[in-house]
Amino acid sequence: MTSLARSSYRVVVVGAGVLGLYTAVHLARAGAGPVLVVDRGFLSSGASGRNGGGVRQQWETRATVRLARESVAAYRRFGLDFGYNIWFRQSGYVFLAETERELTRLRAVHDLVVSEGLPSEVLGPERVAALVPGIAPGASVGGTYLGSDGTLYPFPAVWGLYEAARSLGVEVALGVEAVGVDAPAGRVAAVMTSAGRVEAPVVVNAAGGWSAEFSRRAGLTVPNVATRHEIFATEPVKPFLDPMVVRVSDGLYFSQTMRGEIVGGVTVPNGHGVDGGMPTSPRFLTGMARALVLLVPRLASLGVLRAWSGFYDDTPDGFPVIGEDPRRPGFVHANGFGGHGFMLAPAASRRVAQAALGERVDLDPATFAPARFFSSDRPTSVERLQLG
Amino acid sequence: MAGPSERHVLFDRSAKNVRPGETLLAALARDGWPALQRSIRYHRPRGPFCGVGHCTGCLVRVNGRPNVRACRFEPAEGDVVTTENSWPSPRFDLLGVLDFVFPGGIDTLHGFRRPAWATRAYHRVVRRLAGYGAAPDPGVPAPPSSPPLRRTVDVAIVGAGVAGRALAAQLANAGRPVVAIDRALRPAPVPWADLLGRTTVTFLPPPAPGGDARFTLLGFEEPARGVEIRARAVVVATGGYDAALGFGGNDRPGVLTADGAFALLAPDGRAPFERAVVVGGGERVTDVLERCGDAVSAIVSPGDVEPGVVRRASELEIPLYPRSLLLSASGRSRVRSVALRTRGHGPRFSLGCDAVILAHRRLPTPQLFFQAGARMEWRGGTGAYYPWLAESGETSVPGLFALGESAGYLPDATGDTTARVAAALLGRPLPEGAPPPRVASTGLPDLDGYYRELAAEPRSGRWVACPCEDVLLEEVEAAHRAGYRGIEVIKRYTGLGTGLCQGRYCLPDALLLLARLEARSPPEVGYITQRPPVVPTPLGAFAALADVGSEEEPR
Repeated sequence: MTSLARSSYRVVVVGAGVLGLYTAVHLARAGAGPVLVVDRGFLSSGASGRNGGGVRQQWETRATVRLARESVAAYRRFGLDFGYNIWFRQSGYVFLAETERELTRLRAVHDLVVSEGLPSEVLGPERVAALVPGIAPGASVGGTYLGSDGTLYPFPAVWGLYEAARSLGVEVALGVEAVGVDAPAGRVAAVMTSAGRVEAPVVVNAAGGWSAEFSRRAGLTVPNVATRHEIFATEPVKPFLDPMVVRVSDGLYFSQTMRGEIVGGVTVPNGHGVDGGMPTSPRFLTGMARALVLLVPRLASLGVLRAWSGFYDDTPDGFPVIGEDPRRPGFVHANGFGGHGFMLAPAASRRVAQAALGERVDLDPATFAPARFFSSDRPTSVERLQLG
Repeated sequence: MAGPSERHVLFDRSAKNVRPGETLLAALARDGWPALQRSIRYHRPRGPFCGVGHCTGCLVRVNGRPNVRACRFEPAEGDVVTTENSWPSPRFDLLGVLDFVFPGGIDTLHGFRRPAWATRAYHRVVRRLAGYGAAPDPGVPAPPSSPPLRRTVDVAIVGAGVAGRALAAQLANAGRPVVAIDRALRPAPVPWADLLGRTTVTFLPPPAPGGDARFTLLGFEEPARGVEIRARAVVVATGGYDAALGFGGNDRPGVLTADGAFALLAPDGRAPFERAVVVGGGERVTDVLERCGDAVSAIVSPGDVEPGVVRRASELEIPLYPRSLLLSASGRSRVRSVALRTRGHGPRFSLGCDAVILAHRRLPTPQLFFQAGARMEWRGGTGAYYPWLAESGETSVPGLFALGESAGYLPDATGDTTARVAAALLGRPLPEGAPPPRVASTGLPDLDGYYRELAAEPRSGRWVACPCEDVLLEEVEAAHRAGYRGIEVIKRYTGLGTGLCQGRYCLPDALLLLARLEARSPPEVGYITQRPPVVPTPLGAFAALADVGSEEEPR
C-alpha cells in the first residue's frame, strides 16, 4: 500500500499524464507549495503513452492554432529543458482531401494558419504524391501542408516531466486512485484517495478519458465523453515517409516513427465510456489495414506488429475544458482534449496552473472555461478538425 | 547441379538452388553458416536464432518485400532474395563500427539533444539507422492476394501438434466437423479432419455473446492470404517454444534455440555446425541429440541432468557438465567458445564450440488466451502465464478450451486431457478421477536461482536483454536505478519487448531479473500486455478481411 508523504497539499493533480505532470512542474516552479500528483495506473498507462505522437498547428479556430503554436515552441526546447530527447521531428503534417468540398474546408484552415504567421501550403495532387511516396493515383485531389508540424516520441516526454516534477519537490504517487472530493461548504477542502484523505484547497482534474468519471465523483455533471480510439504499428522499415498524413474524410492518419514503424489509426465507431477497457477490435484492425493499403498500396506486404487503444476525452464543441468549475470552487478542469492533449499540453498546462493558483487565465473564457457548457450563452466557436 | 524439381533463386546476386520442401534458410545452411542479419541498433552480427519465425536473425528481402523470415519461407522459381540492414553485406558491415564506438550502448533517451542546431542532422542519421529492411518497393504488388479463406465450423483447433491432432481425430471419429489450424509449412495430415497448414491464427477477440459461431479467428496463410474462421468452440493447443538464456554475448551468431538448430538441418541431419554445446539437462536435450547428436560436443546443464540424457550422452560419448553457469560466449561473427563455471563457486573453464543450442527451458504460447480475455494465472514452475482451467479443460471463457503444453499440462498427460476436452465438446461425462497434473503453480523456476548465482559473477561481453531491439542488460538496470518500476514501464522506458518477437524471448528472463531488483515476485512486476496480432500479419491479409466485425462489438 502506497502511503503519502503528507496529509495536506496546496494542489492535488489527478492524472500523471503529460498534462498533469506539466501542470505540476509549472506549479512547483511558481512556488505553489506542496503539490501531489496521483494516478491509479503506472506511468504512461493512459493516453500519454498511447498516442501517435503527432503535434500540429493546423486547426480550424484561431484559439487552437495559437495554443498549438506555443506548444510546438515548447517541444522544440524540451530536450534542453527536461533532459530527455523526445525526438521532435518537424517534418510536417499533410492533410488530404478526397473531394473539392474537403479541399475548400482545408483552404479555410490554410488561410487561418497563414494569418497566424505559419507558412502553410495548399497542395495539388502532384505535390501530395511527392510528400507521400507510393500514394495511390487519384487518391487525393490535394491538401494542405505545414512543415513545422511534426511528430515526437511520447514516452521520453513523460519521463522528463516525471523526473523534473520530482526534482522540484512534487510528490508523484502512482497506483493511487482519486476516489472523490470532500467539499463541505461547496468549496474543495480535501481529496479522497485510495491511500487516504488528503487536505487540499485545489484539485486539478487531468484524468484524460477518466475525467468525466472523476468529475462525477466530485458531484459535477460534465459533457465530456470518453471515446475509445485504436491505433497500430507495423514492423520497422527504413525511412520512406517524412510527414504525418491525415485524411479528412475518415480521420485515417499515419506516420513513420523514428524507429521505422508505420503508426496510425482510423476512426471506427466504438462505444462510449471507459468501462469496456482498452481492447483492440477486429473491425479496426481490418478496416485500418484496408484504408492504409488502398491509400498506399506498397504497404500491403508489411506486417502489422501490434495494435492497442486508448481514450479520447471528447467535448461537444471540440475545445478542451480549462479552468475552475464555478459550481465547485477549487475544482480545476484540465480535460476534454479530444485526443489532442499531448500536442497542446505545454501551452494548456501553463493556463491550468494559472487557474489552480487563482490567477487570471490567459485564455478566452468563452471558448475554454467550463462555464460555457452551462451558461445561457451558447458557445459560438466550434473546433471540428478533431482528426489524427 | 540442380535437380529437375529444384527452384533457382538469386541470393545477393549469386544463384542458389532450393530443393522441394526446403526453406530458404535450410537451403542456405547447406553451404555453411548463414550470416543474414545485423542487429538493429549496433549492427552486431546476428544469425538464425529461433527457427520458428519470431526473431530477427534470418530476415531477408524477397522480390521487394522486406522482413521475410527465411526460416519460414519456401522460395518459388526465380525469386530474388537480398540481405537487409547491412552494407555492403551482413558478414562485413561497415556500420558494425557502432558496436565498438558505443561500448556502453547508445543513449537515445538523453543523448543527441545538443547542440540544438544539429537536431535535424541527428534525426536524419538516427532515423536512417532504424528499421530492418527498406520499405516495400513501390509498384511491387503484394504477394498473391487471393480472396480470403473463410470457414464456419463447429470446433476450431489451433495447433495441430500431438495434443491438437489427437483431439481432432477423436472429434472427427464422433462425426463432428473440425478444422485444425497449424503454422507448420508442412504439417503432418490429420486423419479425417480438415487441416489448414501454413496458417497462423493471429487474433482471437473475446467471443460475441450468444448465438452460434461466437468465435471469430483471424489470421493469415503464408505468405499473405487472409483467413477468417468462425467457430462455436475453440481449442487452443499452440504448444510452446524453447526459451532464450541470458549471458555475456548471448546474441552471438551460433547461439540458437533447439528449434533454431533444427531449422538449419538438412533432411539427412547434416548441420552447419560441428561442435555444438547444448544447454539443458532434460527431455529437450534428448530431442537435440536425436536430431543432430553427431554435431554435439558437450552438454552443459544449468541444473541437474535427467538419467535419460546421461544415458544417451554416454552412448554418444558426449561429455556432460551438470550444474554449470554459462558466463559468456565469445567470437564476433560466430561463437567460438563459451566460458563456464561450476555452480557453488566451482572452477571456471571454457569449451570451444561453433554453436550453443539452448534446450534448457520450454515456455508456453499463451497469446490467444490473453486476447480472448481468459483468466490467466502465473505458474512459478516455469515462470509463465497459463489459463485458469476447469476440470474439463475449459477456460474462463465459455467455449474456449486449452490443451497440451500451452495449457501447462505435463507431456505424458495428452491422452487424458484430450479425452476430457473431447467429452466436454461432445456433451459426454468427463473421465473419472482428478484432472491431469499441470506445471507447478507456486515457487519460482529453477532458473531464478541460477540467475541469482550468475549475478554475483563479473560480467564479460555484452548481455543483450532484448535482442530484437538491441536493449542491453545495463539499460534495464539503469532504468531501475532511475526509479522506474514494473515491467510495463521498463518496457516503455527501454524498448525491451517491443520488437518483432513481442517479448517472447526477453520478457520471461526480464521478469526474473526485475523481480530480484525490485525485491518482489514476478507477478508483482507485472506482464507485458499481449497485444494482437500474435505474429506480424501482412496488412494485405487483414485488409482482405475488412468486412468482418460489422455487427456491434461485444461490450
